[in-house]
Amino acid sequence: MIDRLWQTIFWLSGLLLLLLLVSILSYLIYRGHAAISLEFLLSSPKGLPLGAEGGILPAIKGTLCLVVLAVAVASVPGLATAVYLVEYGEKNSLSQIINTTVQCMAGLPSIVTGLFCYALFVVRLGFGISLLAGGLALGMMVFPVIVVTARDALLAVNNHYRLVGIALGVSRRYLLVRVLLPQALPGILGGMLLAMGYAAGATAPIMVTAAAIATPTAGNLFEPVMALPYHLYILFSQQVSLDKAYGTALVLVSLLLVLNVIALWLRQRKGRGV
Amino acid sequence: MREKTGILCLLVAGCSTVLLLAVIVFMALESWPVWSVVSPRDFILGTNWNPLAEPIQLGIGTMLVSTLWTALGALMLAVPIGLCCAIFLAEFAPPWMTNILRPVLNLLTGIPSVVYGFLGATVLVKFFEVNFAMASGESLFCASLVLTIMVLPYIISTSESALRAVPAAYRQASLALGVSKPYLTLRVLLPLAKKGILGAVILGFGRAAGETMAVLMLAGNTMVLPTSWFSKGEPLPALIALELGTSVVGSYHYQGLYAAGLVLLLFVLLINLLLALFRRERRSGVN
Repeated sequence: MIDRLWQTIFWLSGLLLLLLLVSILSYLIYRGHAAISLEFLLSSPKGLPLGAEGGILPAIKGTLCLVVLAVAVASVPGLATAVYLVEYGEKNSLSQIINTTVQCMAGLPSIVTGLFCYALFVVRLGFGISLLAGGLALGMMVFPVIVVTARDALLAVNNHYRLVGIALGVSRRYLLVRVLLPQALPGILGGMLLAMGYAAGATAPIMVTAAAIATPTAGNLFEPVMALPYHLYILFSQQVSLDKAYGTALVLVSLLLVLNVIALWLRQRKGRGV
Repeated sequence: MREKTGILCLLVAGCSTVLLLAVIVFMALESWPVWSVVSPRDFILGTNWNPLAEPIQLGIGTMLVSTLWTALGALMLAVPIGLCCAIFLAEFAPPWMTNILRPVLNLLTGIPSVVYGFLGATVLVKFFEVNFAMASGESLFCASLVLTIMVLPYIISTSESALRAVPAAYRQASLALGVSKPYLTLRVLLPLAKKGILGAVILGFGRAAGETMAVLMLAGNTMVLPTSWFSKGEPLPALIALELGTSVVGSYHYQGLYAAGLVLLLFVLLINLLLALFRRERRSGVN
């Protein structure tokens, strides 16, 4: 009897998760679909206050710029760190320290990253509130994501390749560049997409380093940019327009879901054989 | 046998370690002058935040209480639910169900905090306003509810792997003894996975305490000392996000915000180091 009860509780809690995601998505679609039109997606913010009559093109562009910049900044150091952790630092104390650091960086509250980047890039280095400062802040935020996903991808490569490489007397670098990295490529790319999604949704760091309520252009490194999550925050908190806020949220979430699904698919795939 | 590539990678990896150190040092430097105006004790325990007044009042006690209240409240809800989900995934779910739930967990973490905050503010807050006749529905409780959903995936995946890490011999022994499956999970596996689950709780706490957007949009943002779960408050990250833009660089206000950031940073770092320690212990315990 008690066993039955527990079993039911476990099943219910599992179903609760499913219900949670489905209800969040369907509610967003239900409230947001009316706001979305080609014009909403492809024009600049209009109306008074700005944004009341839609238009999120600059925000979409700005988010894309921020995200690409962030991943571009973080990918090379992230990949190099992962390669060191898996291929060179075979469980020595140094790699343990690096592992712990990466874990701590992953746990860093995003507002603290924002504070640090505000003081360093915006104030001290004089970038001002700008795309560059925001991209660097997001890059710092996604760095641990890239390290961890690339590390897992490299760890998942069958160890036989390493042994065969060593047995054939191939140099470590050749083995890495020609065998291991191609094998781990889908996982690494998947990790980068995951990082992109993570960066695209982050609001706190860009709120203090990069975001503007409205800008005519996007893409200039030293100008503030609009971004989807910040636009959503403004539409809601300044009570500009609830309908447009739902539309923006739907666009943002759809974008992230697509990124995440591709990332999941890539990370489950095996790299090409040798 | 080191080569150029290895050394290069080590250099880059080392830089990342230094970056974390740089964050701490930088935050300390930016907030340095403020400690001559207010002692660390007064800063943490003081309940008045009035950086523009004369004499200046800098105390983050109220905000700290709000932070702890929302985060602990979220844990109170998320830990039981999360544990049940983890047990379900590790022991009871048929493979097809696991194949559905795993991506679901990933997608739940993929939804950004600003969207969670927005939905919470438009749905939950409205719900409280309408059904409980509150003037405004924002409260620490609302923030906790939304934080619960946000930390749930982390708690689930960490405790699930802790449950899976329990050696199979225990399962076989229980099966041989004819013990029922719920008994096995609750009385045998759960106590064995205790450490890993505690790690999951700590991780969730760190996430909940550092989360900015959701609490910013849901907690109500008033600087009164919260007296119950249902009063309003302003958690630390919300304070920083709200006031950084308007503070004059170099003023005590600005430095005070960095000092608040430093407190938050050290707090979360401590939690993470604790977590790392836990993981290491567990790994050596299993071997």
